[in-house]
Amino acid sequence: MTTTATMTSTRSLSYIALFAAVIAVFGLIPKIDLPFGVPITLQSLGIMLVGCLLGPKRAFYTVGLFLVAVALGLPLLSGGRGGVAVFAAPSAGFLLGWLLGAVVCGVSMRQFMKRMPGAKGKGLLIAAFLSSLVGGIVVMYFFGILGLMLAAHLSATQATLAMLAFVPGDLVKCAVCAVLVQSVARGMPSWRLDRD
Amino acid sequence: MRSLYSTRRTWLHGVPAWTKLVALSLAGTVLMLTAEVRGIAIAAAAVLALFASLGPAGWRQWRMLRGLLIASGLIAGFHWAMGNPAIGLVSALRIMAAAMLALMLTITTRFDDLLTVLETILSPLRRLGLPVGRIALAIGLTLRFAENFYAQWQRLDDAHRARTGRSGGLRLLAPLAIRALQTAERVADALAARLGG
Repeated sequence: MTTTATMTSTRSLSYIALFAAVIAVFGLIPKIDLPFGVPITLQSLGIMLVGCLLGPKRAFYTVGLFLVAVALGLPLLSGGRGGVAVFAAPSAGFLLGWLLGAVVCGVSMRQFMKRMPGAKGKGLLIAAFLSSLVGGIVVMYFFGILGLMLAAHLSATQATLAMLAFVPGDLVKCAVCAVLVQSVARGMPSWRLDRD
Repeated sequence: MRSLYSTRRTWLHGVPAWTKLVALSLAGTVLMLTAEVRGIAIAAAAVLALFASLGPAGWRQWRMLRGLLIASGLIAGFHWAMGNPAIGLVSALRIMAAAMLALMLTITTRFDDLLTVLETILSPLRRLGLPVGRIALAIGLTLRFAENFYAQWQRLDDAHRARTGRSGGLRLLAPLAIRALQTAERVADALAARLGG
């Protein structure tokens, strides 16, 4: 296996395309219903993974590429949605939230890993969980709520209340993301988590 | 992976992609600036008539609008319950009209044409180091990876089912992630060998 320590642009292209594909495929996997009745789709898990594993710059390219492919008419969003129309929907705020959430998640993960390089155990789990939480919940919800307020004329409180139903599912996703990042760090020791 | 483009030709297929995009952004701006019920209702009726003029090519993509219709209904109902039916009606009609216009663009414009327009719009960003010319290659790679990735998922799921009799679910994510990364490394090597760098 080749080392992934150096990341020139052609090599990056492959990872960017792969992770865009991961986000797309997570939209094909049927929704999983949690025991307490909250449906979750996996697409935002893909966003968290991209941020944690690729770092901010390539996470930006990855989610940007995915959104461009969607805007050009490929039905890559969950439920086979696509086209420019999805950017006019009340949930469009989340799409912008994906882009910036992945970047924030990446920045946070890099900061953690620079302070504790080579962490594999609890430290890595906590770093990935917190990064997913900040990028995948705080930032994503901020833009999602902003979108709801603008498109549906809801007040900030109303929009926030409408989002609360998704918090439990998204917390589970943060945990799953953390475990996945740890498995990758263990299964592929050459994968550098502290790279920009 | 099938694009949402319709091969059944309509009058809108012949209009250049640029013209359609400019018209779409102008119409979107007008919709955003219109705040009274009568104006939005007239605009929405006009958009509906335009959409209907596409014939079966448009109605075939009806499922794309179903979710939005439900969301718009919820928004209108919510504002109705809060004693503000006008705001709800305006928001719901605006969302539906904008989405229908956007869907018309998607149905009647070929993927390649949109990509050309996009590359032209983004070309100034080349100076900032954005690899604009590689968008087409990256999208192609993404679709190929998605297919490969989905096939790997099903293979792992079958293997898990054969051992345990149940579907693997989330347990498969870790082996899947590692396999996908290994595939990406091989592709990266191949790309680096052919394109350099």
